[in-house]
Amino acid sequence: MEAVVSFEEFSYSYPTREDVLVDIDFQVHRGEVLGVIGPNGAGKSTLCRCLNGLIPHFYGGRIRGKVIVAGLDTQEHSTAELSMKVGLLFQDPIEQLSGVALTVEEEVGFGLSMLGYPKEVIGERVAEAIERVGLKGLEGRSPYELSGGQQQRLALATVLAMRPEVIALDEPTALLDPIGKYEVFGVLRELASEGSTLMVVEHEIEELAYIADRILLLHGGRILSIDESKRVLSEVSRLKEIGVDPPSVTELTYLLEREVGVALGEYPTTLPEAVRLYGEVLRS
Amino acid sequence: MRPLIEAEEVWFSYSEEVTALRGVSLEVERGEMIAIIGQNGGGKTTLAKHLNGLLKPTRGVVRVRGLDTKETPLEELTSIVGYVFQNPAHQIFTSRVYDEVAYGPTNQGLSKEEVDARVEKALAMVGLEAYRDVHPYDLDYGRMKLLTIASILSMEPEVLLLDEPTSGQDHRGIRAVAELISRLGREGKTILFITHSMRFVAELAERTLVMAEGLIIGDGPTREILTDLELLRRAAIKPPQIAELCLRLRRRGIDVDALTIGEAVDAFSRRLGADAPRRAS
Amino acid sequence: MGVVRRVLLDKRVLTGDSIIHRLDPRPKFFFFLWISVLAYVFYDYVLTALFLLVILALAAAAGILRRILLVLAVIVLPGFAFAIPILSVLFPWNETLMFKLHILGFELPLYYEGFTWGLSWPLKIAVCVSSALLFYLTTEPGELIALLFKLRLPYKFIYMVTITLQLIPLLLDEIQTIYQAQLSRGLRTKANPVKRIWNFLALVIPLTLSSLMKVQTRAIALESRGFSAPVRKTCLYDIRLRAGDHLFFSAMIAVTLLLAYLYLLYGFSPIVHLKFYYVAG
Repeated sequence: MEAVVSFEEFSYSYPTREDVLVDIDFQVHRGEVLGVIGPNGAGKSTLCRCLNGLIPHFYGGRIRGKVIVAGLDTQEHSTAELSMKVGLLFQDPIEQLSGVALTVEEEVGFGLSMLGYPKEVIGERVAEAIERVGLKGLEGRSPYELSGGQQQRLALATVLAMRPEVIALDEPTALLDPIGKYEVFGVLRELASEGSTLMVVEHEIEELAYIADRILLLHGGRILSIDESKRVLSEVSRLKEIGVDPPSVTELTYLLEREVGVALGEYPTTLPEAVRLYGEVLRS
Repeated sequence: MRPLIEAEEVWFSYSEEVTALRGVSLEVERGEMIAIIGQNGGGKTTLAKHLNGLLKPTRGVVRVRGLDTKETPLEELTSIVGYVFQNPAHQIFTSRVYDEVAYGPTNQGLSKEEVDARVEKALAMVGLEAYRDVHPYDLDYGRMKLLTIASILSMEPEVLLLDEPTSGQDHRGIRAVAELISRLGREGKTILFITHSMRFVAELAERTLVMAEGLIIGDGPTREILTDLELLRRAAIKPPQIAELCLRLRRRGIDVDALTIGEAVDAFSRRLGADAPRRAS
Repeated sequence: MGVVRRVLLDKRVLTGDSIIHRLDPRPKFFFFLWISVLAYVFYDYVLTALFLLVILALAAAAGILRRILLVLAVIVLPGFAFAIPILSVLFPWNETLMFKLHILGFELPLYYEGFTWGLSWPLKIAVCVSSALLFYLTTEPGELIALLFKLRLPYKFIYMVTITLQLIPLLLDEIQTIYQAQLSRGLRTKANPVKRIWNFLALVIPLTLSSLMKVQTRAIALESRGFSAPVRKTCLYDIRLRAGDHLFFSAMIAVTLLLAYLYLLYGFSPIVHLKFYYVAG
C-alpha cells in the first residue's frame, strides 16, 4: 500500500513544552481514513500541524525524525508549498475563515487565489468543491450568515478546492450543534466512500466508528495503539483508563461481560452491528 | 410557595430583524435538575441570560424568587442565579486561581475572611484545592472549566446555570463536570445546563427542555423527552446511542428499555436471565 | 459604539444601488483626495461650505445623507462649539475687533480673524470626513479590495485593511459576551476609581487573550491555505471605468480649472476675501 503520510521516528517539543510527540512512527495509506483519538493534551492537534509543515516552520521547536507527505519532507518545504498536498481543517468554524471573503464562493477560492491560480481555474474548482460539500445555492451568501455546520462544510470546501492528497481534520465537529455534526459527518462519509485520504481527530467516537478504517490511539504524546478501528475501540478498559469514551454499545457489551458474565464473542462498535448482535442474543 | 423562577410569555428581540424568543413560559422549582437542549440559534442561551437578568424581556415577565427582573438590580439577581459562561477565556483575567474565585464574593462586598472561606469551600467543591496559587492559564482545559464553575459557586447562588459545560471537553473532563453537577444537585442546588451531549442529559437531568426557533417545543421528564421520536425529529436531535439501540430492538420485538449504559446493563442482563449486576450504582 | 455600528457596519448601505454606488471606486476615492486638498488650499468659509454642500448633495443622491449628518453632528458641531468662542478671543493674529462681550464683569474682545478661523477649520474637517464616508459607504468591500490591488499595494497590507473592517462586528460581539460574563460575577458599573480600574482589567484582559488566541488560529489557517506563497495573488474582483466615471472625472477637471482661475484672480479667499493670512506672514 502506498503511504501518503509517513512519520518516521518522529519526536517534537514546542519551544515552551517538552516532548509533545515522542517516537511517532506510522503511515497513512492512500484512500484510507485514519481516526485519531486520545484525551485532551495527548498531542492530537500537534500531530495535524506536522502534516503541512506548520510544525516546525510556524511554531519552531525541536524535531527528531521526519514527516514525509506526498513525497515531500515537511522540514524542507514551506507550508505554502505543502498546502497543495495537505488540507487542514480546524475546530473553530469562524476563526478559520479567511475573514476577507464576502461570499461563500470567494471564500472557497481564497486558497487558490493566494497561490496565484488564474481566475478561470479558480471558478471551475470552486464550483466543484461547493457541490461536493452540499452548499450549492448558497454561493452568494456571506460566510458569516451561515450556520456552524455550513461554515465547517465551507471550510472543508476551501480545502477540497486545493485538491490535496490528504486532508487532516482537527476535531471538526467539536464546536457544532447536533445538526452541524450530522452535516459534517455526512460529507466525511461521502469523501471516505469516494476514496479520499483522511486523518480525522475526533471526540465523537460513535460517529468516527462509522468512517475510520483504522484508529490511532494517542496518549501523552505516544502512540498506544494503531490498528483496525474495531480492534482499538474494543479495548474498552484501556480507553477508559486514559480518559477516552468508547462507543456506548461497545461499553455496554464490555460491562455485560465483566459484571454479569455474558460474553457475546465480539464487541460491536457501531449501532447497526449492536442491533444485529443483540437482536440474535436477546431473541434466543 | 411560588416557583423559584417563573417566565411568562417571554419575547425577546436583539434587533428589529432578530427575534430570539417568541413567547416562552417556564417554571423552575427549587432543587430541580434541568437540561436545555436544541440546535444553536434556537434560543437556549438567550433564555438562560434572562434567568439571571443579563437580558430583560422585550415582552412578558421573568421573576426570580418572585422578583421581577426588570425592576431588580442586576447585583441582586446574579447573587441568586449564577451563570457559568461557555468559554473560560471570556472571564479569566487574574494570574492566580485563588484571585479568580475571589472576584465574585469580593464584588458582593464580603469581608476578607468571608471571601477566604468562600474561596476555599468552592475550590474544595470542584477539587482544585491544590491549585489555588497556580496561574489559571497553566491549568488544562477541563480544570479551567472547573475553575469557572468555582468562581461562580463562591458567590453561593441558589441556582446554577451552565452554558455548554461539556463543549471542548474530553471524556475525563465531562466525567468531572457530571460528578460535580450531580453532587451539587444532591446537596439541593437548583441546576440548569445547556448541552449538546445527549449521553450527558440522559445520565444527569430529571427534566429536559427542548428549544427550537425561540420556543420551548418540549418540556418534561428526560425519559419521556429522549424517547419522543417525533419531538426529537422536529428538533433534529439524535437520542443517545443506548436509547436508539433499545428502540431498534423493540421494533424487532425485543422488549428492552434503557437510556443510559447502566440501565441497559440491568435490562439486558435481566432479559438474558443472568444474575443481577454486582455494581451498586 | 452605537454610532459606529449604525454608520459603518450596516451592510445594506454598502450594497445599495444609486448613481453614486454604481460609480467605480477610483473616481470616488480620487474625489475624496481632491476635495480635501481643495478645502485645505482655499481659506474661505463660504467656499468650504459650498464644497460641503456638494458632498452632502452627492450623499443625498446615494441615500446616505442621514448617516453622514449623524457623524458630522458628533465630530463637527463640538468643533464649532469650542473653536469659535476660544479662537475669537485668543487667536494670535487677531486684529479686527468685532465687538466686546461683557461677562461677569469681564470685558472680552471678540475678533474677526479668530472667529473665521474657528468657523473654517471644523468645516474643512467636515469636508474631509464626509467625502471619506461618501467613498467608504458607497463602495463594496470587494471594490475596495480591487482598488487596493490596482494600486499595487502589497497583499499583506490589503489583507490588513480588509480584515479590520470585517472583524469590527465580531469584536463588538466578543466585548458584549465578556461584559455579560463579568456582570454575572458581580462586576459593578458604579464603583470607586480603584475598583473601576480593576473592573476595566476584568474586561480588557480576557478580550486581549481571547483575541490573541483567535488571531493565532486565523494565522495558522491562513498559512495552511498558502497565504505566504511567494507569488502574485489573484484578485477575485473586477472594476472597470464606464461613461459615468469619465464624466465624473471631467467634471472634477473643469471645476479644478475654474478654481485655479479664481485663485489666480483673488487668492486663497475668493468670496469672503480674508486677509489675515498675509499678516501672519
